Formats: sequence, C-alpha cells, structure tokens
Amino acid sequence: MNVNFFIPTLFAVVFAPLILGIINRTKAFFGGRCGQPLLQLYYDLFKLLRKGATYSKTTTYIFRLGPMVGLVCALLATTLVPFGSQRPFISFSGDILLFAYLLGLMRFFTVIAALDTGSSFEGMGAAREVHFSALAEVAFFLGLISLVKITSFASFSEIYSTSFANLWDMKSIEMILIGSSFLIVLLTENARIPVDDPNTHLELTMIHEVMVLDHSGPDFAFILYGSALKLWVLGSVFVQTFWPIRSGCVYLDVLFAFLSMIVLGVIIGIVESTMARLRLLRVPQLLVAGAALSTVALVLTMR
Amino acid sequence: MENGLILWALLIIPFLGGFCCFISKVRFIQWIASIVIFSMLVLSGIAVWIIITVGSIEAAHGWLFLDTLSVYHIALLQIVFALASLFGKSYFPVEIAHKAFDPELLPRYGMLWFSALGAMNLVFLSNNIGIMWVGVEATTLLTAFLICIHVTSQSLEAMWKYLIMCSVGVALAFIGTMLVGAAGSNLKAGHSEALLWTFLYQNASNLNPFFMKMAFLFLVVGYGTKVGFAPMHSWLPDAHSQSPAPVSALFSGFLLSTAFYCIMRYLPLVEMATGKQGWAMEILVFFGLFSIMIAASFMVFQRDIKRLLAYSSIEHMGIMALGLGLGDIGTFAALFHILNHSMGKPLCFFSAGKLVQIYGTNSIYKIRNAMKITPVWATGFFLSFLALIGMAPFGVFMSKFQILKAAVSKADYISLIVFLFGCSIVFISALRYMLLVLYGESESHIHPQKAYKRDIFLVAFPMLVLLVLGLYMPEFLENILQKAANIIRGY
Amino acid sequence: MEQLINIMMVVILLTNLLLLGSSRLGTCIPALGFQGILLGLMLPVLLLSPEGISIHTLILVLISIPLRGLLFPWILFRIVKKTNIRREIEPFISYPVSIFLGMLALVLAFWMSSRLAGTPIPSLHPLMLPVAFYTILVGLILIVSRKLAINQVLGYIVLENGMYVLGIAFAGEVHLLLELGVLMDVFVAVFVMSIAIYRISREFSHIDVNQLQNLKD
Repeated sequence: MNVNFFIPTLFAVVFAPLILGIINRTKAFFGGRCGQPLLQLYYDLFKLLRKGATYSKTTTYIFRLGPMVGLVCALLATTLVPFGSQRPFISFSGDILLFAYLLGLMRFFTVIAALDTGSSFEGMGAAREVHFSALAEVAFFLGLISLVKITSFASFSEIYSTSFANLWDMKSIEMILIGSSFLIVLLTENARIPVDDPNTHLELTMIHEVMVLDHSGPDFAFILYGSALKLWVLGSVFVQTFWPIRSGCVYLDVLFAFLSMIVLGVIIGIVESTMARLRLLRVPQLLVAGAALSTVALVLTMR
Repeated sequence: MENGLILWALLIIPFLGGFCCFISKVRFIQWIASIVIFSMLVLSGIAVWIIITVGSIEAAHGWLFLDTLSVYHIALLQIVFALASLFGKSYFPVEIAHKAFDPELLPRYGMLWFSALGAMNLVFLSNNIGIMWVGVEATTLLTAFLICIHVTSQSLEAMWKYLIMCSVGVALAFIGTMLVGAAGSNLKAGHSEALLWTFLYQNASNLNPFFMKMAFLFLVVGYGTKVGFAPMHSWLPDAHSQSPAPVSALFSGFLLSTAFYCIMRYLPLVEMATGKQGWAMEILVFFGLFSIMIAASFMVFQRDIKRLLAYSSIEHMGIMALGLGLGDIGTFAALFHILNHSMGKPLCFFSAGKLVQIYGTNSIYKIRNAMKITPVWATGFFLSFLALIGMAPFGVFMSKFQILKAAVSKADYISLIVFLFGCSIVFISALRYMLLVLYGESESHIHPQKAYKRDIFLVAFPMLVLLVLGLYMPEFLENILQKAANIIRGY
Repeated sequence: MEQLINIMMVVILLTNLLLLGSSRLGTCIPALGFQGILLGLMLPVLLLSPEGISIHTLILVLISIPLRGLLFPWILFRIVKKTNIRREIEPFISYPVSIFLGMLALVLAFWMSSRLAGTPIPSLHPLMLPVAFYTILVGLILIVSRKLAINQVLGYIVLENGMYVLGIAFAGEVHLLLELGVLMDVFVAVFVMSIAIYRISREFSHIDVNQLQNLKD
C-alpha cells in the first residue's frame, strides 16, 4: 500500500490549526499589534483536552454526541480532498457529494447540539447558521457541478488531476467565477468576516460562535479542531481550483499546495482586516450573489 | 426624381414647421400652423394623385417609399391633424381664459405637436423597417409632454405610464425588427438593403419561417402596446383621459393607427414566409377579440366620459385587428374602418373635450342637459358616438358589417359571436348615458354657450363624410382600398 | 483576442447581476456606465482581427461610448442630486430574489439562444446572443421590480443596451444611419424621462411609482 495516500490527511491533521494562527497574525499585523503566537490554537487544544467537561442538566446525549460526530465528519472529509497533485485516501466517482454531505452532517450535529441546550441564544445562532448555509450550499453545489461539467469527472482526485492546470488556458473565466463563488462559500461556512466575526462576543450578532458557547473542555477542543479541519479542506478545494500548480513531481506539488494554504491564510486575514462585517440582512444577498456567480459559470460551461 | 421630392417635402415640412414654432413669437404661431397644415394637405393630395397614376414612388436610394397603403394613411393623417389643430383654435383660448394654459408655452408645445406629425409621417414614408421603428419610438417621446399640458398629478402619472409602457413595448418591437433582419440573412443582402421593406417583400417566401414567427410575436406585442391591444392597453385610458382634447383626438384618431400600420406592413411578410397558412392572422384575431371583450367590459361601468371614449378606441383597434386577421374582405374592411374611425373618434373627443371644458368635470353623471347648453357640440357628441357604436346609415356600420361578412364567409363562428356580443355590450352601455347627457335635468347654472362657424364645420365635416361613406362608396376610394388591401394580402 | 472578448462578455453579464443586486444608486449608475463603455468597445474589438476598423465603426464608437458611458450616468446622477434619493429601500421584489430571478433569466437567455443557434445567423461571437437576451431580460426585471422612477429609467437603459448587442448579433454591422437613429431615440428617451422624473418629484415630492395610482377604473 502506498503511504503517499495519507499525505493529504496528514497535512490536514497536523497543519490545520496553523492556518488559523496565520490568519490571526495577519490581522494582528494589520491592526499594528504583535498578536498571539502562531501556534496558539495548538496550545488551546492541548489545554482544553486536559480539562474536564461540564454538562448542563437540561442537555441530553445529543449534546455530547455533537462535537464528536462533527470531528469525525471533518476528519473523513480530509481523506477525500487531494493535496497538490497527490490523490487522497478515498476516491470514487461521486465523492464530491459525499464531501458536501459530510460537511452538512457536521453542521447538522452542531446545530442540534446547540438546540439541545434549550438556550434561546443558541437557538437563534442555529437558525442563522442553517439559513446561511442553506444558501451557501446552493453556491457550492452549483460550483461543483460546473467543475464536473468542465472536466466530465465526478471525483475530486479526477477533477484535480494533473491536466487540471491546462483547463485554465481555455476556461479561465469559468474558473475565476467558480473560484470566487468558492471563496464566498469558504468565508460563510467557516464563519469568517464578512459573514460572521469569529472574534465578536455579542450574542445578538454572532452566528457560529454562539452555538458552541455551552461546550467545554474536550468537547470544545473537538469543535475547535473540527472547524480548523473544515477551514483546511474547504481552503484546499479553493486553492486547488484557483491556483493549481503542477510541476510534475508529486512532492513539489504538495509543497506548493502547502505554501498556497499559507497564502490563503494571509488573504483571509487581509479580507478580515479590511472589510466590515455585513449586516445580517445583507448576508443572504452576498450568498445569492455567490450562487449567481456559480450559475454564470455553469451556464457558460453548458453552452 | 421630381416625384421623390414630394416624399422629402412630406417628411421635412412638419419638422421645419415645428422648428419655426419654437423660435417664433406667440402671435405668429397661428400663421405658421396654417401654412404648414395647408401645405401638408395639398402635398398629401398631390401624393395620392401621383400614387393613383404611378403606383409607387421612392426616394433616397429606396429608403423613402410610398405606395397605396402608406399614401392612404398619410392622407388620412393630414386630415385628422388638420381637424385637431383647427379644434385647438376653439379649445385653447378658453383654457387660456381659465388660466389653465400659459400661452407663453405655445412655441414649445407647437414644436412638439408638429414634430409628432413629422415622426408619424416618417413611419409611413420609411421603407427601412429599422427607421420605421425609430419613427414610432420618436412619436412616443414627442407626444409624452403633450399629455401633461395641464400639469396635474394625474396627468403626470398618465405621462409616466405612457412613457414607460410604450418605450418598453416599442423596445420589444425592435427585437422583432432585428429578428426579421436575421430571417433574411440568407438572402445575402448588403447592409443598406437588408432591412428594406420592399426587398423583404419581394423575397418574402425565402425568409426563415421560424425567425419570422418569433419576430411577429415580438412585433405584435411591441407595436401592439402602442396600438392599445389588451392586455397591453393599461396606459391608454389614462393618457387619453388626461391629455387635452385635441391631443387625445390625435392620439386616438391616428397615433394608434400609426402603430397598427406597422403591424400591417409585417403581416404579408410573415404570411408569405410561413406559406400562407394564416398563422399570423390567427394571432391578430386573438388580440382583436380579446381587446374587444376587455374594452366592452370596461365600458359598462365607466363614469369618466373621456375614459369611455378611450376604451371605445381599444374596441375599434380590436375590430381592425379582427378584420385584418380574418383576411379577404376583412382586410378591405379593416382599412375602411381606419378611415371611419379616424373621422368619428376625433369628433367624439372634440365634443367630449368641449363638454368637459364647459362643465368642468369628467364625470358622466355631472354632464346633463347638454343639448340646451351647447347644441352644436352635444349634437356632435351624440351623432359621432352613434356612428362609432355602429348605427346604420354611417360608415362604421358598413365596415363592421363587412367584417361580419368576412367572419361568416370564413365560417369563423367563434369570432362572429364574440364580435357581435362585444359590439352589443358597447352599444347598450354607450346609449345608457346618452339621453341623460343630452336632455337630463341639470342642477348647476351653466349658461348656454355661443357656437362659432368653426365649431359647426368641425362637427359637420366628419359627420358628412361618415354619412356619405355609409351610403355610397366612391370608386376611387374603393380602388385605393382594394390596392392597399392587396398589398397586405400579398398578391 | 478571443479571450479578451470572452472576458468582456462575462463582465457585462456580471454588471447585470450587480445592477440586480445593489440598492445603492451610487453603485448602480457607475456600473451602468461601465457596461455602456464595454458595449461601445465591443464592436471594434470584435472586428479588429478580421478586417480592421471602418470609418463607420469609428463614428459609432465615438458617439456611443461618451453617450452610454458618460452622458447617461451624468443625467442619472443629476436626477439623484435633484431628488436627493440615493437608494431604493424596498423594491417590489427584494434584492436576493432579484438576483435569483437574474439567475433564472440567465438560464432562459442561454436556452433561447441555443434554440436560435441551429439557424443560419452570421453571429460574430457565440456569447453575443445570450448576453443580448440576458441584458434585455435584466432590463425588464429592473423595470418591473423597482418602485423608484429613476430605477425604471436605469432598467430602460439596460434594456436598450441589450437591444444594441442584439442588433450587432443579428445584423452584424447595421447601416450607420439606422444605428444613429436608434442612438438618438435612446438619448431623447432618457432625456425626456429625466425631465418627467424631475417634474414628478416637484409635483409629488417623491418618485415612487407605486404611489402613482390616482388613475384607476
């Protein structure tokens, strides 16, 4: 068995929290601050894992199940996405759907765990999360369908095969459109600015963070780690689409992909430092616009 | 060549007149108007004579073109325009006396009035279907401000609806025009002749039928908005009721027919391209019947006298479309109906406008005992309305009867029944108020009005024409109508 | 060159989406002007490779770019200044739904042009027809879905832009006289509409078309 198949998962598992560190450092740089250490999330995770969890008496087993299922889903998702030109561990025709629905399942469990607490704030956050991700999913699926249409493959490893870079010569417009739409999905799904501010602590405006307020200890660590993994996988899909660099050597490609991920972290940091968070009512507009970009790409590929 | 000059003259004189109005002093405008109108009447008479003897003339490398169909419309237009302008002479002085109209604005409105005539002439004269479109759009833009000569909130609203609906509708007609151009793309024409109507007419059977069908749908909906076909008619009652009477008379008397003329031009092209199966004619029958029914049902409970007339215009446009759609003798009847309608309807609007002016209200319930107060205009209103709803000795009766005949001979009994039903509803609902308007007891103290010779002429002339046409069809008119009908039938 | 035209077409598509989704006139009007400039540049770019630019095209470009790119936005900005209305708060159809309708319109436009594709038309570029139909449809959506009179004028200009592309797509180079006639009509239409809006705002102290309902049966 070829050990190389584990490279995408390995990179995700090891480096996912690093991206968040990079984002934070970029923001700190723009804010003129020194910022937290690059590896802060790793420290946090270890700290949380060593703590015990507190459970409210009103919660049921669903509340305890949520973070674990979420983490497992995120881990499974990492085994589906190629990294550089390295094929992932699991790959079959139609795995893009599995990927999308794994993320969906993860969100579903986060949401019902939030609802299980019975807190009105968490319910509100859950409602918003579902609302926005329902719209984001449209954009994501339309983008994926356009990719399938362009390459006529329905598996990530086939889509991002070595010839993918050549598509940029012929289909650059479609690629830019799909890429932009993926960026909007990426920012939404990971609760970043301009959709949600991960640093805010005003419950009325929070979306993602408000849902996980009641989790503590290892559960919270799972959740943090799960979202880091989610950012990593969606980010690598975006990176693969937007700047697929193919040198011919697998290891070199992987290195490029890793560097691209770091650049992506910096870009997200810049976006977060330069843009203001949108008003909640305007968020659906952004997401529908993302879906519209994907539609344009899809229609262009269909002609 | 000297024949071609007359086309240029017909096109340019109105614009020139408009320009002169704009730069001249108020007191000269009357003279400018008289000169322009008189010369236009003479020119159109000469044009009719030339066309009867020669057949068709063209100028400007075939971009301007006049045949029997268009000369018929041009001559009618000049008559309607002259009548409307003459009526303006007895309408606006009263408005000025009531301080409802500022005479200082006369040059501006005079310019718009004559330019609108020029734009309509452009529609009839141009052989290029693109330029024809430009003309129709120009009529919309030039007449928009004429609607709100009285600046009230209602008239502004009417103007805005008219502007937006007609601009958008006519924009759709542009798509149709371009589709016709595309349908002829296999004919390998240069770009100066690709959109010429005569060229398309000669090669009509080689046009791409699919494109022509698509084009016709766009054209009927687009120009149909301007014609006032239901369901695109909603601007029409507003615009007609809010504009001053001479303007509504021109609107109803000829602006609608101008757009209808465009549809007439396209009908033979589509029919010949699709192999004369009557596809396009069925569409016209549908719009015709639908307009008749909608107009009839809105006339039943109408309380505004000018809106009543506006809906009557929609009905008559529907009748024309029906006649054109039935084909054969119906085509002839539709053309004849245009003449009748553009004699009767302006008179109707003149009288209604006068009544509205005297009584100071549009409401039909408040206009009473008109026969005593203004006998001339009351008679005009009564007779022209009787003629329009199809009373026997007048011309409208004859054209309606011929359309009925066309429906019977084509065994199209659905159209027959709907047509008869619609007409009888209109008949009853129109007569309902008539007697009250003429003789009912009035509470208000309005003094009887003096009648001028001009007023008597304005009432007598159209009514005489209608009466004569109802009893006897002159031979030269029949020839013209027959020739024009043959152009539409594509013989 | 091919790529450049492709990009221009897609950018026109995207400006349409922006017009559908943005409530601020300060965004919409420059977007409209940008679209106008792109349209003006389209014909020369299309004709550049095979035969070079004729005097005819040059005249058209020199008239249509200042008209669509500068004059129309200027007129619209003047209305904005005079009426002091900067954005539409509540249209008949909300902005996300308008974008969604725009997506449907896009599919419809491509479907329509695919229906026409089999027939012999000398189209200069495969994307022209769908772009034309789409721009026309977006113009119609704008006119129908907005309450502010100025937005309807905006929609009308978009509609006319679409018609311009359609004219090029169907007829290639139309006769200069006809093009100029159409341009003049469009210009006069926008001019007349702007005066009308100005009068409406003076009479009613608003330009909300929804509140114009004195005339009814």
